[in-house]
Amino acid sequence: MTQRFTAAKTMLTVGALLLLAACGSGGSSSSTGGGASSAPVHGGNLIFAAVQDAQSMNNTTVFDNNSIWIFEQIFQPLYTVTNNGKGVKPWLATSYTMSKNKLTYTFQLRHGVKFSNGQPMTSADVKFSIDQNRKATQGWAYLDTAIKSVDDPSPDVVVIHLKYPWAPLLADLSIFANGIIPNNYAGQTEAQFYTHPIGTGPFKWDYWHKGQALKLVRNPFYWQKGKPYLNSVTWTDVPNDNTRELQLKGGQAQIDQTPAWSTVASLKSTPAVNMFLFPSTQTNYLAFNELRKPFQDVHVRRAISYAINRAALVKAVLFGNGKPANSLFPPQVPFYQAATAGLQYNVAAAKKEMSESSVPHGFTTDILVPAGNSDYVTIATILQSELKPLGINLKITELDPNTVNEDEQTLKYDMVLTLWTMDIPDPDELATFAVDPSSGAKSFFTAYDNPQVVKETHEAETTTDPAVRQKYYNFIQAQSAADAFMAYLYYSPYPYATTSNVHGFFVTPLGNMHMEDVWLSK
Amino acid sequence: MTFVIRRLLMLVPVAIGVTIIVFFLIHLIPGDPARTILGIHATPRAIAILHRQWGLNRPLVSQYWLFMDRLVHGNLGQSLYYGVPAAGLILGRLPATLWLICYAGLIAVLISVPLAMIAASRKDGIRDHVVRAVPLLGLGMPPFWLGILLIYALAINVHLFPVSGYGTGFGGHLHYMFLPALTVAIALAPVVIRSLRASMLNVLGAEYVTTARSKGIPAHRLFLRHVLRNAVIPAVTVLGINIGFLIGGTVVIENVFAIPGIGQLMINSIFERDFPVVQGVTLVFGVLVVMVNLLADLSYAALDPRVRFDR
Repeated sequence: MTQRFTAAKTMLTVGALLLLAACGSGGSSSSTGGGASSAPVHGGNLIFAAVQDAQSMNNTTVFDNNSIWIFEQIFQPLYTVTNNGKGVKPWLATSYTMSKNKLTYTFQLRHGVKFSNGQPMTSADVKFSIDQNRKATQGWAYLDTAIKSVDDPSPDVVVIHLKYPWAPLLADLSIFANGIIPNNYAGQTEAQFYTHPIGTGPFKWDYWHKGQALKLVRNPFYWQKGKPYLNSVTWTDVPNDNTRELQLKGGQAQIDQTPAWSTVASLKSTPAVNMFLFPSTQTNYLAFNELRKPFQDVHVRRAISYAINRAALVKAVLFGNGKPANSLFPPQVPFYQAATAGLQYNVAAAKKEMSESSVPHGFTTDILVPAGNSDYVTIATILQSELKPLGINLKITELDPNTVNEDEQTLKYDMVLTLWTMDIPDPDELATFAVDPSSGAKSFFTAYDNPQVVKETHEAETTTDPAVRQKYYNFIQAQSAADAFMAYLYYSPYPYATTSNVHGFFVTPLGNMHMEDVWLSK
Repeated sequence: MTFVIRRLLMLVPVAIGVTIIVFFLIHLIPGDPARTILGIHATPRAIAILHRQWGLNRPLVSQYWLFMDRLVHGNLGQSLYYGVPAAGLILGRLPATLWLICYAGLIAVLISVPLAMIAASRKDGIRDHVVRAVPLLGLGMPPFWLGILLIYALAINVHLFPVSGYGTGFGGHLHYMFLPALTVAIALAPVVIRSLRASMLNVLGAEYVTTARSKGIPAHRLFLRHVLRNAVIPAVTVLGINIGFLIGGTVVIENVFAIPGIGQLMINSIFERDFPVVQGVTLVFGVLVVMVNLLADLSYAALDPRVRFDR
């Protein structure tokens, strides 16, 4: 007797399962790739595939960008960053006046602004918000250090008194940490408030399933008439680059946050997909620990800086989507000086510097790289071959990212790769962190200390004349480049890919997004 | 029942052992959660404030006793990263991983049993060779690559399934989780097929099978009622062990398919040095592995009435 168990029975069983699963609720939708429509269309729910989940909605304490870019849709500041990232424009305030001694700023608040719970915004809310940020024991309070007090003499006027003249005040006020929240957290505790935050922004809280999705829905009380256009925005946690790209192509998401550089060219030619490279303030650097020999020697640092072929790095790491860096400041920062020569690729100059250094025959050193970060590994590998002609034997040490972070902050490294993006449209924060060893960041954890550079950084803070500030920042950029406390590597844009039915999406050089301007065509 | 109670009581020493090992191991790894969260703003003062808030300024042994004291009251502590109860975070993510494992196990069984029967019924024939060789491709392929291939084939080119995610509701989970479950099942199936085929061949040689055949029992009844039930126990063991590995081993699939499971939570928590969550997830892993092995043992008794645990 033959036993016949044909493949048909097997396939029938498996096929039944497939049918059952395929009949499950929801089917994948495809991108409509709709044609351009000139007038914004109301409606639609946008899915934003993000690299990482948010951490917290507490705008005064959290430093995580993914949290920041979300709660910026809920909380709004008095002034907001302009589209070119170099200034501010009125937002919840419409104008201000400054006293002659530059110590008192009087702000006129915008009329008709309401929170998402329907409560009108008043100066009491503004005073409470800024005072809460000033009081935060950790977080962004340092940006409000110059503020002595905040008054609310009438419901639509706020007065800020300074301890000393402070040029970056408006820029500091534009940060999300100074975003306006209801007075006394609308009757809740701070912890309760930030689980369901209330703001004046275009979107209001819906839910957050941690590690999965965070959804905001349209704020019906939003002060910009006719906006937002979208019914909702949902940020999903999709850490894998490939998966985000596939979600975009499959229509499961409309925005892909930071696609891999290697995919930019192919996304540009993908039908029904728009690939954007928004100018950013992101700068990548190679930091030297001046507490370790021979990096206290300026000739060694200059030699390494000269030896780096930045164009090659841009090609290899960014696939050509970036620019070699010449200055501590990126081009999108106010007072950036394009004429700063920087120490650009010049092998002869590198060899000359080495010959004048304390280690003319070279040395062995180490660069810390976070494991799993292929961009950084590529940079380190390129540096390894570029430093060999100088006699520098570079060992690459890959460690868990947290350990690299710890070693960098406790100055237990020789060289390490680092980066910066701006939080405010003013170079003060960057300059202070980068070149002032007494700042919390110990000169970007390099122990760099040039007293004249530090002095001019402080002078630039308290001078409100832009021409004078420009002179200070020109000196800071030129001198810090000459001192080569870091090798400036490259400036990179913010890459975003969207389906072609997404309109109005824009990212400022500081990373802010105004989702109230975004709409979906049918 | 005594057997079940005894096995459940084993959970206690397992849990204690797991917590001790993981607690001290995670604290030995360099890296400070305060520095991770504060980044460039990690001043000594800010770090000290967070350490005090989280109890990290206490001696390690004291921290461990505090953790155990909370644990006996059902409290796994507060996530250092999210600032919410770790238990809630873990319980919120656990269903997605359990869905993946159970769904993958089911698909693996549905693939393996018929194929093993085909192979066993035609020993050393072409069908036998094909069934033994082809599934090995699934074993050899990296799961993340296989997952992406399946997405391209069944979600992008043909919109049968969503690209990724977990979905909502029972039907949604069934739909969204099919591709990830299939990816895992394709890796599980070869081992189960081979084990089941080998046991079936063993049973097919038994005298009672020869007797049943000679009595004219149809082939399908022979396999289903006599051969399969007797051959399946070793395969259940293999499946149970593999599922035990899957618990915590699904992180690659969770990453590729953007599934909010505890594997991904564990990896992120290790990177963030979120000690309470790492400890909590490891404890859950330990409990689940014990439970899976218990279920495998109990299934022996269900499948074979001769198996008894209480003597």
